[in-house]
Amino acid sequence: MNADGTIVARKLCKSYGRHQVLRDIDLTVAAGEISCIIGPSGSGKSTLLRCINGLETIDRGVLKVNGEDFGYVEKDDAYHAVRPKRLAQQRTRIGMVFQQFNLFPNMTAESNVMSGPVLVKKKNREASREQARELLAKVGLEGCGHKYPAQLSGGQQQRVAIARALAMEPTIMLFDEPTSALDPERVGEVLAVMRDLAGNGMTMLLVTHEMGFAREVADEVLFMDEGIAVERGDAREVLGNPREKRTQAFLERVL
Amino acid sequence: MSQLLAEEKKRITPKRPRDYVTWAVAIAIVAGLVWTAVTNENYRWPVVFSYFTTQSILNGLLITLVLTAVSMALSTLLGLVLAVMRMSHQRPVSGLAQLYIAFFRGTPVLVQLIFWFNIAALYPHISIGIPFTDISTPVNVNAIMTPLTAAVVGLTLNQAAYMSEIIRGGFASVPRGQHEAAESLGMSGFTKLRRVIIPQTMPSVVPATGNQVIGMLKETSLVSVLGVADLLNSAQSIYARNYQTIPLLIVASLWYLIMTLVLSVPQSMIERRFSRSTRARLTPAATSAEPGAGQPVPATRESLL
Repeated sequence: MNADGTIVARKLCKSYGRHQVLRDIDLTVAAGEISCIIGPSGSGKSTLLRCINGLETIDRGVLKVNGEDFGYVEKDDAYHAVRPKRLAQQRTRIGMVFQQFNLFPNMTAESNVMSGPVLVKKKNREASREQARELLAKVGLEGCGHKYPAQLSGGQQQRVAIARALAMEPTIMLFDEPTSALDPERVGEVLAVMRDLAGNGMTMLLVTHEMGFAREVADEVLFMDEGIAVERGDAREVLGNPREKRTQAFLERVL
Repeated sequence: MSQLLAEEKKRITPKRPRDYVTWAVAIAIVAGLVWTAVTNENYRWPVVFSYFTTQSILNGLLITLVLTAVSMALSTLLGLVLAVMRMSHQRPVSGLAQLYIAFFRGTPVLVQLIFWFNIAALYPHISIGIPFTDISTPVNVNAIMTPLTAAVVGLTLNQAAYMSEIIRGGFASVPRGQHEAAESLGMSGFTKLRRVIIPQTMPSVVPATGNQVIGMLKETSLVSVLGVADLLNSAQSIYARNYQTIPLLIVASLWYLIMTLVLSVPQSMIERRFSRSTRARLTPAATSAEPGAGQPVPATRESLL
């Protein structure tokens, strides 16, 4: 069975010193599914997302991405960390979009998008440039390829960042509060790109405060609070008719 | 009576006495200095001019410049290695770099130079070879540690400690998110450094390195104690023969001054260029308000073309 584009997490635990940020988190994302993680700040939602592409490591639990153990191999006694090269290879199949965009300021928009295919996959430059142009056009930035990040608005930068992640042809896209650092009038253009992506069958896991967007495109919603997965289920069900008290209280505050 | 309407009147700041006094004092000081330089016979300006472009002075000048260039180039490379080591998560690696930096910054460069010149007293013979094989070459330290090698080694090793701190500061100025973005694309550590991180350290590293070059140019005068025929040493050799000490020190000083002034021109250009691009980068909010308004000059254009 092809497990590309799936995420399975069982009993994920992580602590910073004494402070436990993830407590026995279970999460399943099927191929092509859109999953949203919501919750108050400090609830561990960004940490959970960052664990899934290895920006943070987990202390305990099972994490399978694209059907294989991520970052570690299971041995008789323990999970052993893989070599950096193998980890990097696993990461190439997961796209990540950051709250602060994190475009490379020393490269043009086009070079940013080309950076993955050329520098990591060692692909042909001309083919990669062609692909970068197509991707930039797809996110509505045709003709902006020669511009440097500092010359672009926040919304434009974030769309370049999405194109950069897509250039690696990932099976999964992770979004860490992609619209939180944007001016309110720029949020829509980024959400439009993400909506388009969702419509094309990309597996997406996003941490977001955009409840309207979550209700519209998400299949599943996970509500986290203080490192615990409080409620998980059908997006419209969790957002419209939450079972848990804490979920209700949170939704009342943000809506 | 003025015919101007109140709305049309210019606003001026009247000059105050202290505005004239500061000028008067400054002019008096400079005039006094010029007067004594011209009237005091002991300066022997004709001697200064006659030796200004003497062959041995020009040769010394060349050695000073070459020494500066070679030592700076080598110390920048070594400094980069030390900076990367210093930031390693492996404690032994960063510890070694720390030890190096502490030692070479904690002792005077003049002492280090003399030390390297006399290193043969400690290690008369070393052999360079591949461990666990028979391949090795014995080296007579006394023979290779000429004044010039001691000068290059001493200046390089000392300067590398300072360069590594400058480079480390440059690395620290790159936001964590840049590392994360590169890693999430699956870049290897080397590619990440080479293509993403190091180019972004340039705005802080390049101007600081320029300052170090100017500093190094003057610091090379220390090697005169080892008998390297640099600019100062060449001047000294001449006045040892003809006792025209002051005029020849003036010759050397003028040349040092000319070289530092010449170097300060590109230096201030570099500083201006990099401060401009850093400003543009540090205020994305300003440009996001009106996209395309700011035309920043990127620090180092990384082309994947």
